[in-house]
This record gives sequence, C-alpha cells and structure tokens, in this order.
Amino acid sequence: MNMIKNPVYKREMRVSARSFRLALVLLVFNGILALVALLNMYSMLAQIRVTAEIQYSSFLDLYLFMAVLEFVMLVFIMPAITAGSISGERERQTLDLMLSTKMAPIQIILGKLAASLSTMVLLIISSFPILALVFVYGGVTIKDIVMLLACYGAAALFVGSLGVCCSALFRKSTLSTVVAYGIMGGVVIGTYGINQLALFFNRMPGGGYFTAASAGTGDGSSGGFLYLLLMNPTVTFVMTMLRLSGREAASGNITQWFGNHGENFVSQNWVGCSVVIQIVMAVILIRVAVWAVSRGRRPGKNHYRGSAAWQETKKNKNRLKNRHDGISLGFCHVCF
Amino acid sequence: MLKVRGLRKIYGNYHALDGLDMDIEDGALYGFVGPNGAGKTTTIKIISGLLLPDQGSVEIDGVDALAHPVGLKEKIGYVPDYFGVYDNLKVSEYMDFFAACYGMEGLKARRRSQMLLDQVGLGDKEDFFVDGLSRGMKQRLCLARALLHDPVLLVMDEPSAGLDPRTRLEFRETLRELNAQGMTILLSSHLLTDLAELCTDVGIVDAGKMLLAGSMEEIAEKIHVSKPIIISIYKNMPAAMALLKEHPLVRSISVKNQEIMVQFVGSERQESGLLTELIQVGVQIRGFVREPGNLEAVFMQLTNHEEERVMLSYEHDQESGL
Repeated sequence: MNMIKNPVYKREMRVSARSFRLALVLLVFNGILALVALLNMYSMLAQIRVTAEIQYSSFLDLYLFMAVLEFVMLVFIMPAITAGSISGERERQTLDLMLSTKMAPIQIILGKLAASLSTMVLLIISSFPILALVFVYGGVTIKDIVMLLACYGAAALFVGSLGVCCSALFRKSTLSTVVAYGIMGGVVIGTYGINQLALFFNRMPGGGYFTAASAGTGDGSSGGFLYLLLMNPTVTFVMTMLRLSGREAASGNITQWFGNHGENFVSQNWVGCSVVIQIVMAVILIRVAVWAVSRGRRPGKNHYRGSAAWQETKKNKNRLKNRHDGISLGFCHVCF
Repeated sequence: MLKVRGLRKIYGNYHALDGLDMDIEDGALYGFVGPNGAGKTTTIKIISGLLLPDQGSVEIDGVDALAHPVGLKEKIGYVPDYFGVYDNLKVSEYMDFFAACYGMEGLKARRRSQMLLDQVGLGDKEDFFVDGLSRGMKQRLCLARALLHDPVLLVMDEPSAGLDPRTRLEFRETLRELNAQGMTILLSSHLLTDLAELCTDVGIVDAGKMLLAGSMEEIAEKIHVSKPIIISIYKNMPAAMALLKEHPLVRSISVKNQEIMVQFVGSERQESGLLTELIQVGVQIRGFVREPGNLEAVFMQLTNHEEERVMLSYEHDQESGL
C-alpha cells in the first residue's frame, strides 16, 4: 500500500505541518532534551575544571539519560496523538463522509497511524543534533543509534496502534485517550507488577503455586509470567540500553530479574522476540480498529446475505412486491 | 434508478425501519418526508452504504447495492445533515482530499473540483479556509464534494436545515439546476413545505414505513379524492339523499342542516356526472364543492400518532351536536 498516495496521510501531514501544535510539541520536546543535555554537559565540564579528572563514562551516562528521556516522552506523547485520530473524525462528523467514498476503513486507519508515526519520526530526527552532543567526546557508535531507533520504532508502532484502536472503539476522544493511557499503564506497570507479585508469592513458605500454574522453570521465580514482559516496550528498551551500555552481563539478563529462570531461545533473544511480539500486537490492534470502524457498515462474515433473515427476505420478495400498493392502502387508512 | 424493498433496521427494541419500500425513477427529484425519528436518516445511511439493514434489499441501476458496496459508492453522492469540515484546510484542499478519496488525482481532479466550485458559486473561495465559511457556503461546498465523482444519484439528508430563507432559496435553485441537467436527487426533510414546490415525487414515511408515495400529480389527485364534496341543497333533500345512497362511488354521507357532505371516490369527470344526475332527479342545488386539500394537511394526518384519524371540522361539529 503506497502510503504517500493515501489521502488521509496526505491530509494529516498537510494539516499538522500547518498547525501551531506541532511546532509547539517540537519546541517543548527538544527544549527539555536540550536543557537536560546541556546542563549535564556543563556540570561535567565544571567538574573537570575543578578536579581535572575526566570521567568518560559520564558521556555514556548522558547518552543513556537522553535516550531514556526520549523514550518516556515517546510513550507518553504517542497515545495523545493517536487516541483522538478516529474519534476526532467522528466528533467532526467527517468519518461518515470518508466512509461514503471509495476509501476502505483499513486505508483510513493506516493513514492515521502512518501520519502519527511520521510525527514521531520527525520528533526523533529533530532531536538528533541534541543526541549528537554525546559524539563530541565519542563513546557511542552509529550501530548503537540504529539499535535504539529500532527499539523506538517498535514501541511507537505498538503504542500508536493501541491509541488508534482505542480511538476507533470509543466515540469520545477524551475517553479513548484515558483508556489508551490506562492500557499502556497496564502493559508497562501491570506486567512488571504481576511478575513481582508472582515472585513474592512463590518465595513465601509453601509457595510455588504460581510457578506450577504458569509452567515456570525455576524455583522461587515468577514462572511463566516472565513472558508477559515481552509485551512491555519499556523492558525491551531497558534491555537494549543495558546492551548498549555494556552492562548486559551485570543486569542485562532477563532470566535473573524475577528469580532464577532457565535460559531458552526467548530469553537469549529477548529484544528480537519482544519487537516481533509488539509488531504482531500492533497488527492485531489495527485489525480491531478496522473492525470497529466498519462495524455495521460493510458486509463481513456476519452479513445478512445468506442468513436466515436474508432467505426470509428473498422468500417474501414477491409478497413485498404485491404489497407495493402502499399509496392507496395508506391513503384509505387515513381517509376512511 | 433506486429500488428499496422491505428494509428493516432494529436498534435494540426500537424498530427504526419496519419494511420500508421506495422507488425512485431516473431524473426524479424525490422528496423523502417524515417527522423526526421516522427513519429517514437510517434509510439514507443504508442507501449510501454507511449502514447495513437487518433485512431488505437496495438496488441502484439494477445492481444489488448491499452486495457490492464499492460499486454503490461510485454511484451515490452523499450529503449528510451536517457539514463535516476540517480545521486548517482550504476549500481547494478539501476538494482535493475528497477527490483523492474517490481515486481522482492531478489535473483531472483539479479541473473537476474547479468546475463544481464554480457551479455552486464558490469559485472565488478556493483559498478560503473551510471552517471560516458561512453555513450556506459550507452546505454548497458539501454539495460540490458529493458531486466530485459524478454520481448517478445524489442523496441529501435535510440539507437546508439551519439555513436562512435566502440561502435556502439559492440552494433550492442549485438543486433544480442539477435536476434539470438529469441528476436524480433524493432529498429528505421533516418539513413538507420545504419540498412541495421543489420535488417531482414525494414519499411520506413514519415509524419506519412508507405511508404515501408517488409523483406530485398522483398525490395531488389522491388528496383531491380524499376530500369530501359538500353539496348545499336548496330544495328536494329526499331525492338527493336517495340518489347518493345508491351511487356506487359514494362511500359515506353526513348531513347538517341543508348541506350534505359526501365522501366521493370518483374523478373530476365523475364529480360533474354526479352533479348532472342530482339536477336530473329534480334536486335544486345552490352549492357543489370539494373541500380544498393540501399536502401539508395530509402529512399531518398521516403522521399523527395521537389519533388513528383526524376528524374534519364538519364531523367535529356534527359529533358535538351542533
């Protein structure tokens, strides 16, 4: 599907490029990043002036700090941008107008999502000069940046799809935004909390129920609940950052996070698996959004054609034809 | 052009449509009238492919519209009862966007959009922002948008709602022009007066059913027949009563003083025949007239939920013992 030709994408990009809101978001986003980065750098330089000691790890810390800040802002901004995409069209009463044209619901959903992702990409690209501050003293390779971007991309796609899905399911933008943030909170904090709870219960005397129930592999661990974290973009991001910072050996092994879990293919390729899971979930969410938009509108599997109702209609067609003397019947009813 | 049969749509326990039938001929300007909640918008949404019925069929140009929704959308131009405009979008960009939604791009789309904007009188407003236009202009823009893909049927849901009288007149004129060019138009309204002078055909709907439908001439004839003939007798009332009681086209007779109110289901020619017969049997008549009928009164009667039928003033007087 050629997104450049998608009318919704084109219109969204045109309108957002014209709006003051995007300029403001760019200003605030980069302003916060620049402020934090420059303050950090000045404090390091001030320390160097005083102690004459250069801590090269500080530059890596700066990079990590900025990457974390950027990720958190992405996760927070994306639902705000996408959660009003479809419900906003409903509120403006333009969704029906689009659906009365030859546009398919999937084109509308993908156009909206692509426009939101483009805004995110614009935010990320606009922050490159600030991220490049860490190259002043070296320490981060281009490969590191690409890995980070891949992680951002998967998270933005997942969170964006969640926002669009909520927007398609709920009529009001306010409600869809609240639900999108709620689900995001559930995924980020909930999956972590469940693992903590499972670990807590399994470490209690006589524990082990959760381990057995969830087919875990180790004693005193959160068991199979660990794999819920595959959905959590924050965990994927943290794993990526630990890998980039070379601290993987110390705390980068997910199998050690909630008790002792056995090593397997998933734990060895956690970031890759998580990215795949997030993309799969994004696809499912997009499908749900398409279903929500076309609900009651287009013939699907449950279309009445071929159903009992349809057959009854067909059977009664002749009768209905004969009944089409409604003019005189209706009239007589009134006049006599 | 459009053939709707046995359309049913139920929302929970509410029957929005209850076996609605509708026929629109090529080139007709069809007025679809009914009170609020009668099922007009639901019908229009089904015809426009925005809603699926629970039962029934919709055929446009002989094609089953429910089975071929994409084909349906190429044939229909939909104008809802709201404007549906975007902020921060110029008139030309709005038209470009919807042209792209119909798969039209480039010079062809630009020319078509320019031509339509000129036709609806917005040719000089191309660079205006859509949300800054007046209500009348927005409505005309919506009309131009719906005509972008050159549909065979234009479906409009209460298009003149909220417009001032002058804008309404101008809008009607535009519709007349479009109809004169061969465009078939389905126009809904809850005000019959809105449509009575404009439409070639009319359908009155209530509680999800079509109560009365046909060309304006047919309906005018039906209204005429529905009204009673009031015969004022000067002399020989018994002879008049004897003749009327035996007449095959007389449905009911009411008498008040020297006046007889007759429900006569014959044509105008048969009416004059009745007058001749009365004179021939020696009845002296000083008045013979049908009560004037109007479409609005019929509409009010048809859509009256309080009573099964509205009594005529004459009957009312009679029942009151006057």
